[in-house]
Amino acid sequence: MSGTGGLALATRGLQKNYGSRRALDGLDLSVPTGVVYGFLGPNGAGKTTTMRVLTGLVHSDGGTVEILGKPMNRGDRHRLFEVGALVESPTFYPYLSARANLRELAASGAHVPSNRIEELLDLVGLCERANDRVQDYSMGMKQRLGIAAALLSDPKLLLLDEPANGLDPAGIVAMRDTLKTLASQGKTVFVSSHLLAEIQVMADMVGIIASGKLVREGPLKELLSMQAVVKVRVQPNQVDAAVATLAGLAPAERLSETDREEGWLAVHIEPDRAEEVSQKLAGAGIYASGMESGTDLEMLFLQLTGGQAATDEGSFVGLGGPDNGSATAGTGAAS
Amino acid sequence: MRLFFSGLRKLVRRPATWVTVGLLIGLLAVIIIAVGATANSRANVTREATAKLLVTFPGAYDRILEFITGLGGLFAVLYGAAIAGSEWSWGTLKSAVARGESRVRYMLISYVSVAVMIGFGLLLTFAVGVVAAIVGAHLANVSTSGLGDSATLSALPERLLKGWFAVVEEGALGFTIATLARSQLAGIGVGIAFYFGEGFASLFLPDIVKYLPFSVANAALATSATSGAAAGGGFGGVTDVLSPDQALVLVGVWLVGALVVAALFSDRAEITG
Repeated sequence: MSGTGGLALATRGLQKNYGSRRALDGLDLSVPTGVVYGFLGPNGAGKTTTMRVLTGLVHSDGGTVEILGKPMNRGDRHRLFEVGALVESPTFYPYLSARANLRELAASGAHVPSNRIEELLDLVGLCERANDRVQDYSMGMKQRLGIAAALLSDPKLLLLDEPANGLDPAGIVAMRDTLKTLASQGKTVFVSSHLLAEIQVMADMVGIIASGKLVREGPLKELLSMQAVVKVRVQPNQVDAAVATLAGLAPAERLSETDREEGWLAVHIEPDRAEEVSQKLAGAGIYASGMESGTDLEMLFLQLTGGQAATDEGSFVGLGGPDNGSATAGTGAAS
Repeated sequence: MRLFFSGLRKLVRRPATWVTVGLLIGLLAVIIIAVGATANSRANVTREATAKLLVTFPGAYDRILEFITGLGGLFAVLYGAAIAGSEWSWGTLKSAVARGESRVRYMLISYVSVAVMIGFGLLLTFAVGVVAAIVGAHLANVSTSGLGDSATLSALPERLLKGWFAVVEEGALGFTIATLARSQLAGIGVGIAFYFGEGFASLFLPDIVKYLPFSVANAALATSATSGAAAGGGFGGVTDVLSPDQALVLVGVWLVGALVVAALFSDRAEITG
């Protein structure tokens, strides 16, 4: 594998088949050290399969994996000593307490310092219930315990599959803060999630997967700036004039007419330039009757993954936009 | 070693451990005491003498051990299946593998822990069985003078060791079946079916069945007095049993074979769900 220096996690051409179904089709991931990386994809895109391959639960049919700069081949289980993982739902002995579960899990894999379990119980807020049997825990408590289990060996790379599942809002905020703190300490957090809003506020980088292939990867801010939009509504009979007026603000391919009958136009520029749009139109005697602006990971996600078609009310067809090279659709107004 | 001690701690705290050994002890004690209490009210002298065999020392030592390796063998199958199956059903194997633990090491050490617990259960059940036999002897007005028979007592450690080895082999069978099935329930169900299936088959295919795991486990413990009656699975129908030494070798072969299959399967299995 070449060109993977400085990466905490890298896959090249990763393949996995389940019978005749191809779950991973040449997946290339590049996860830099010390970031929160959001791994996004629709159901069945291959997120969990990727997690399973990375943690040695299933064996890939092709391609390579590098963890913390070293190749991980079949049998290189020691690479995982520096990795913490929560794959799918958290799993425990139901008849044991949280404390006992962590202690018994710590007996496998990498060595765990004796005080680590208490630190983690405190971190995930389970100290008071640490001696209760896990079978009596709520889903959210099990999830928190799962995160604690993933952190047992103080891993350099953390792989979390839908970590917010079952967490209440306070738990989600706490988890987000914890993950950001870990990243600030130089650890790498790889989070698979379908909660786009959660990833949007947490991740530094995102990778979007569809049908087992990576369709986009990069710093979140960069991707969102490409997706930034200001939508403006004018009188339907003024659409052509508005398009001509706003042509100076954005290149032609970044300006789109979303709904001529309703008079909606989309200008793919930074949201903070909304006032500029308004002024420009007013200068031409065109008065906006509505305006929305923002950046939207959901829109980007749907465009890249060929998500819901833009048939719902309020949706718009983007012409151009991110260079995915296909006529794409997005739902919902920009936030 | 930390994995081994962890395995023991998990088993000690596991309700299935105490339910299994409790059931075996309860059944053994109830049967022995009931036999002792009713021995003198049998219809004829022959039946009375047969009943008293169970509570007459030193022979009672062998009867208790045979009970443990017989019914205890079935319980060991269920116990082994429960332990292995739950690692898949609960996903705890997945957590260990994701931490970089060796699958083969994890599974084999798990079974070593099970084997130790089986040994503990066997000793506990045997001790309770002896106490129950003493109580039964008193109820049946049978002398307990044979309790301290030196020849029997000196042979007892070896008999207990062989009994443990046989039960461990039967437990390994349940452990492997549940590993292949990746499920507690499936493992337990198939284990029971194997146990009774082997016994049933012994009625028709004794020359083959005598080499099968439950038959060799029973034959390894058989004495000249019980040879032929104790062998076989749930039906105990094998009359042409192997010698105890031959059977012991085959017990080892079945034990190692079962664990190798469980280890290989675990190593190659795709852990999903």
